[in-house]
Amino acid sequence: MIHFNKVTKVFKTDIFTPPFCALDGVDFTVPEGSMVGFLGANGAGKTTSLKIIMDFIRPSSGNVIFDKSLGSSKLEIFKNIGFLPERPYFYPNLTGEEFIHFMGKLSEVPSSQIKHEISVWAPKFKIDYALKRELKTYSKGMLQRVGFLATILHHPKLVILDEPISGLDPIGRKELKDVIVEIQREGKTIFFSSHIVPDVEEICDRVIFLKEGKLIYDGPVNTLLSTNIGQDFLFVLGDTELKDFSTPFKQKVKLPDNFSKYVVAAQDKDKFLNEAIQKNANIISIDSVRPSLEEIFYHTQVSK
Amino acid sequence: MNTNKSLVVALYTFKEILKSKILLNVFFVGLGLMIVTYVATEFTYGVPERVAVDFGLGMLSLSSIAISLFLGVGLLSKEIESRTVYMIISRPIHRYSFIIGKILGLMGIQLVNLVVLSGMILSASYLLGGEVNSLLIWTVGFIFLESLLLLLVVSFVSLLANNVLTVLFSLVILLLGHSIKETQNSLFVQKNPLLNGLLEIYHFVLPAFYKLNLKDFVIYEKSLPLSYLGNSLIYGVVYSTALLFLIIAVFNRKNLD
Ligand SMILES: Nc1ncnc2c1ncn2[C@@H]1O[C@H](COP(=O)(O)OP(=O)(O)O)[C@@H](O)[C@H]1O
Ligand SMILES: [Mg+2]
Repeated sequence: MIHFNKVTKVFKTDIFTPPFCALDGVDFTVPEGSMVGFLGANGAGKTTSLKIIMDFIRPSSGNVIFDKSLGSSKLEIFKNIGFLPERPYFYPNLTGEEFIHFMGKLSEVPSSQIKHEISVWAPKFKIDYALKRELKTYSKGMLQRVGFLATILHHPKLVILDEPISGLDPIGRKELKDVIVEIQREGKTIFFSSHIVPDVEEICDRVIFLKEGKLIYDGPVNTLLSTNIGQDFLFVLGDTELKDFSTPFKQKVKLPDNFSKYVVAAQDKDKFLNEAIQKNANIISIDSVRPSLEEIFYHTQVSK
Repeated sequence: MNTNKSLVVALYTFKEILKSKILLNVFFVGLGLMIVTYVATEFTYGVPERVAVDFGLGMLSLSSIAISLFLGVGLLSKEIESRTVYMIISRPIHRYSFIIGKILGLMGIQLVNLVVLSGMILSASYLLGGEVNSLLIWTVGFIFLESLLLLLVVSFVSLLANNVLTVLFSLVILLLGHSIKETQNSLFVQKNPLLNGLLEIYHFVLPAFYKLNLKDFVIYEKSLPLSYLGNSLIYGVVYSTALLFLIIAVFNRKNLD
């Protein structure tokens, strides 16, 4: 859908501060039909990348290549894109309904269809009761919902969202995530940025991971999880106060009621198990410990 | 399709400003205008309808200038600062359609202001026994053109400077544009071909607002030569168009961050 082609962006603010390289040769693709999470801490360069994709700002070098299926001219392509900016701000004196009509008309949706889309989506977003009110009376979450509705009402093939669920309460996040999953099931491509790892881990099948303006990873979530680890195993042994194991283990934690927890490296797993059997240990459970995306996120160093 | 999109932007820009109750101020200006006119005519001997027209046009001109200055300064810059511009230009719309739409929307507000206030002026003048001549209509039309030209100046400067500077700078350009006529007519300048030439160049570089000011004529004359009106009209339209192209060129290249 999108090929972000070796993009570098250098900001030159004024002559007193040195130029700042916000993106350094970043190269990734968003495949059609996928749900891609765009992960990175605050200031990693996510919003800058999305602004370049949307042609709000121009890259210092590199370019953005859109799939032919989106269209060939900029207007054609943008007809097939739904974009929700970070912390969107709206016209305070328009009502929710007027705003949605405004956006719909710009995307060439006929009025009757806009009305229809509102009747379908507004209840799902739980915003139908407020559509006749002026936007200045809306809470942050309500604005986000109205913005989201306006982003998808023209049935875009590609939906780009900048931090759509950050800053919402847990229920709001759950609801929005549900809708994102629902529209992806309709075959849309979704690309959304977030600095909140569990959200990405939960609903995305691919992740693009940015750190300090450099691309760290671009691929399936699962691969990132399984390659980035010496996988550990977790043994819980019961009843007995065991003499020291000769097999090396990483960590031992005493649990209540004489239970003990051992963290064992993958290569020592079989040896440890044998020894436990020999010692007649009461084996309660053995589990593999998969690090969450979050742990990888915080431990990956910029290496390039 | 593209003029269409400009009109969509214009429509909702118009709605947004209309509902911001700023036009309530216009209503109060109008009300104040009628009271002042009434009081003034009570205390003037001879030509009350002239006083009414004089006051009225002054007020109309001032309020149009105020709208162009104080609403114009945020017309584009507020869109950029508050990121609403992202919501719009991420849609299938050219940047120039967005600009034209914003300008049209605010000019719609100007038109409402103009129709309301000039309606009051004309009816006051009529009720006081004055005649509505074509020059009065020209004057009102030129006030509209002046407000467009000023709005374009404000919009252009606002793309390059902050709000306070924009208002100050535009105000200076406006005052200069009105005062160069006197300068040009002064003996000192007329005797000095170099200065005279410089002032001619001024007309091309900065807008010569005085050309659109007919208020001084309207009290004492019934009509002006059509060539003068036509000249001024062409100057205003050509200058505005050129400025609009300049704004679009700058906005097209602008990084919106
Ligand atoms: N217009 C700008 N001028 C200078 N620096 C900028 C500008 N925009 C963004 N930056 C810098 O670029 C970096 C990336 O910002 P951003 O893309 O907003 O990060 P993210 O969205 O991942 O939180 C930040 O360090 C930010 O300060
Ligand atoms: Mg951001």
